[in-house]
Amino acid sequence: MLEPIKNNWRILLLVVVVLGATVALFAPQFGPQTAPGEDVSEAQQGVTNLQYGLDLAGGTRVRAPLVGYTAMEVDFGGDQPDEVARTIAAELENASAADITAVPSERAVDVTATEVTESQFRAAMDASGYAYEDIRSGVTQETRDVAQQVIKDKIDETGLSGGTVQQVQSLTGEYFMLVEVPGENRSSVTSLLEERGTVQIDIAYPTANGTGIEEGVLRGEDFQELGSASQRERVQGAYVPVTVRNTAPEGQQSPAHEFQQAVADRGFAEAYNSQRDQCDYRENPDDVSNPCLLLTVDGEVVNSFGMDPSLADSMASGSWATDGGFRLTTTEFAEAERIAINLRAGALPADLDISGQGTSRSISASQGANYKTYSLVTGILAVFAVAGMVFLRYREPAVALPMIVTAIAEVYALLGFAALLSYPVELAVIAGFIAVVGTGVDDLVIIADEVMSEGEVNSRTVFNSRFRRAFWVIGAAAATTIIAMSPLMVLSLGDLSGFAIFTVLGVLIGVLVTRPAYGDILRRLLTIR
Amino acid sequence: MVAIDVPEVNYTEYSNRQLVAVPLAVLVLALAIIGGWYLVTGAPANLGLEFTGGVELRVADDGGNVEQQIETAFDRQPDSVRAIPADDVYVVTFRAADEDPGNLAEDLSTQADEAGLSTTAIDQVSPSFASDTAQTAIFGVGLAFLGMSVLVFALFRTFVPSLAVVASAFSDLVIPIAVMNLLGIQMTLGTIAALLMIIGYSVDSDILLNNSVLRRTGEFYESVSRAMRTGVTMTLTSMAAMIVMAIVASLFGIDLLRNIGIILSVGLCADLMNTYLLNVSLLRWYKFEGVKR
Repeated sequence: MLEPIKNNWRILLLVVVVLGATVALFAPQFGPQTAPGEDVSEAQQGVTNLQYGLDLAGGTRVRAPLVGYTAMEVDFGGDQPDEVARTIAAELENASAADITAVPSERAVDVTATEVTESQFRAAMDASGYAYEDIRSGVTQETRDVAQQVIKDKIDETGLSGGTVQQVQSLTGEYFMLVEVPGENRSSVTSLLEERGTVQIDIAYPTANGTGIEEGVLRGEDFQELGSASQRERVQGAYVPVTVRNTAPEGQQSPAHEFQQAVADRGFAEAYNSQRDQCDYRENPDDVSNPCLLLTVDGEVVNSFGMDPSLADSMASGSWATDGGFRLTTTEFAEAERIAINLRAGALPADLDISGQGTSRSISASQGANYKTYSLVTGILAVFAVAGMVFLRYREPAVALPMIVTAIAEVYALLGFAALLSYPVELAVIAGFIAVVGTGVDDLVIIADEVMSEGEVNSRTVFNSRFRRAFWVIGAAAATTIIAMSPLMVLSLGDLSGFAIFTVLGVLIGVLVTRPAYGDILRRLLTIR
Repeated sequence: MVAIDVPEVNYTEYSNRQLVAVPLAVLVLALAIIGGWYLVTGAPANLGLEFTGGVELRVADDGGNVEQQIETAFDRQPDSVRAIPADDVYVVTFRAADEDPGNLAEDLSTQADEAGLSTTAIDQVSPSFASDTAQTAIFGVGLAFLGMSVLVFALFRTFVPSLAVVASAFSDLVIPIAVMNLLGIQMTLGTIAALLMIIGYSVDSDILLNNSVLRRTGEFYESVSRAMRTGVTMTLTSMAAMIVMAIVASLFGIDLLRNIGIILSVGLCADLMNTYLLNVSLLRWYKFEGVKR
C-alpha cells in the first residue's frame, strides 16, 4: 500500500503544498490580525487572507532619519547620566539638559536640539571634560527606541489602524525610521511626524518694560491624567482636561505646587477679579496688562488665556494643588485634539527630517485599487505569453500542459506563503511573482529537454539518470539567482526587498517542490510500463 | 501553426576570432556609450527620481484640460509630464531644487490642490537620501556580481569556462544599461532589481552550455547544439513573459514593472548573443587548444 506513495511522493508533496497554500489563503484562522474593536471581515481585504501593501491599498510611507549628533565611546567616569547631560548642556547655549541623552550602556551621548551644530557639540564635549572618541551624525539607540515608541503611540492615538514603525539601517550605517500608515494622505502623516509635539505652558506677565516670559511652568511630563479633547460649553473653543501631578520625591516640590507658586507669584489672583478681566496677550503680545498663561507646542504659542477668578484665588491660597485639575484651552477643537495626542504619546525625542534627508511615498486608495487590477492583468498576460511559447515549442500537450500547471502552482504556493507570513503584497512582490514564472518555466524546459533527448525513455532508470543530470543545472542556476538576489533582501533599497524575498522563495519552492514534481509527472506520462 | 524551431548553427564555418568579434564589438560600443554618457552628463545613465531626489506627482485626469492646468499650476517648470491614458493620470516629475529643497513636496501638493488638481500619489525623495540609495545600489549590484562569479568558479573549477560565463554575464549587464541610455529610460530602483535579475537569469543558459560541453560525453558541436536547443527556448520563454510585462505595464503606467520588463528583455537578448557567440568560442578554444597546453 505504501508503494504508490513512495513512488509518487514528489507529486504528493506538490499537492500538499498547494492544499496548504489554499488553507493559508482562505481559512479564516489565518486571517489578518484584527485591530481592537474590528472584526475579521473588516480586517480582510477581499476574499483572500492576502494583505496588500501601500502600493495596492493606498496610504503613506515615510523614511527619514532622526536629527542629532552622537558622541561615541564616551568615558562617563562613573557620573550619573543626568549629571553628564547637565554638565554638557551647560557648555551649550542653545540646548538644555532635556536635549541631551547620555546612555551609559552604549557609552554614547547625543544632542537632539536642531540648533546645535556638530562643531558646537564637539566644543561642548571638549569643554565638559568627558573623554570621547568621535562624533557622528544621528542619535543613540536609546533615543531611536523612544522615538519609535512615540511615533507608534502618536499614530495609534490618531485612531489610524495598521500603522507600523520600524528602524532600518542604510549601507552607510545611518539609521532611518520607516513609518507606514495605510489609508492616510501625505500631509496628515508628515504633519504628525514633523511636529515634535513638545507641549509646555509659559506665563507672560507685565513688567515695567514690556512683557516678561517665565518659561516652562508646566511641561508635558507634569501631567498625570489626561482627558480627551472636549468642546467648551456655551463659549467658542475647546479644551483638554488634565490633572497636574502633586507628588514628588522627598525634598522636592511637586509640579502642581511649583505651578501654583508661580501663578501666585505672578499675581493672577490680583489681576482676575471678575469675568471682565481678560488676558490681552493676543492683542498686544509685547505689552500685556494682565498676566497670561501661554500654551505652546514646539515653542510656538497656540493659545493664550487668563484665569477664572475662583481658580486664581484657590491657587493663591494654596489649596488648588491637592486636586490639581486644570484645563488646557484652545481656540479650535482640532488644536485640542492635537495637543491631547502630543501629551498622550509624549514628545518625539528628536526631529524627523523628512524633507531634508528622507523620502516619502503616498498613494491614494483609488490609485492603489487601480494598481491592483492592472498588476493582476499584467501577471495573467505574462503567464499566457509563457504558455504560448511553451506550446509553440513543444506542440505536445502532454509536455506543455503540466509545465504551465506546475508554474502556476508555484505562484499559487507563493501567494499562500504571502498570506501565511502576512507579508504585504506590493507591486515589487508581483514583479517577483512574474520573475518566478519566468525562471520556473526555464527550469521545466531544461528537465523536459534533458529527459526527452537521446531517444525514447523506456525505463525508470534511464529517466532517473537523465532527471538527475538536469537537476545539476537547475540547482546551479537556482544558486546563482539566490546569490544575485540576496543583496537586495538585506540592503535597504525601498520596496525591492519584497521583490528579492519572493524571487528567492519562489526559486526555493521551485527547486524543492515543484520541479521534482514536474519530473514525476513527466515520467508517468513518458515511461512505457 | 507557427512552430519555433531552434536553428542549427554551423559553428565550424567560423573561426573563434570571427565569433568573438561581434559580441566584443557590441560590448565595446556599449561601454563607449556609458563612458560618453558619464563624460557628458556626469552620470553613467539617466538617473531617475530615486537617485537624484525630487518629487513625482500623479495627477488624476478627470476630464478637463488637465495638461494645461499642470502647465500653469506650479511655480516651477516640471521636468517631465507623462500622460498615462489607461489609468487616466498624468505623471509630473520635478527634480530636487538647489534652493530650498525642504518643502518641495508640501509646496507642490498644495499648489496642485489650489489649482483644483487631484493628486492620487506623491513620491518625494530628498537629494541626500538619493545619493545614499545610489551608493547602496552600486554596492548591491557589485556584491551580487561578485557572489555569482565566485559561485561559477566553484561550480566548474576550470578557469577559461568559468571566465566565459562571468564575461558574458558582465556584457549582459552592460548592454542593457547602454540601451537604456539610448532609449531615454531612467535608472530607477526597478532597473536595479532587473539588473540583478539578469545576473540570475542570464547565467542559466551559460551554465547549461558549459555543463553540456564539459560534464557530458559527446562531441563538442553536438553538445553545443543540444544545449542551444534548450537554452534558446528558455531565453525566448522568459523574454516573452518580460516583453508582455513591459508592454502591459507601460500601458497602465506601472513604472516599476515596465522598467523591469524592458531591462530584462534587452538583457536576455544580449544574453542570446553572448552565450552562443562569446561563450561558445571561448569554450571551443578551451576544448581544442587550451586543454592541450
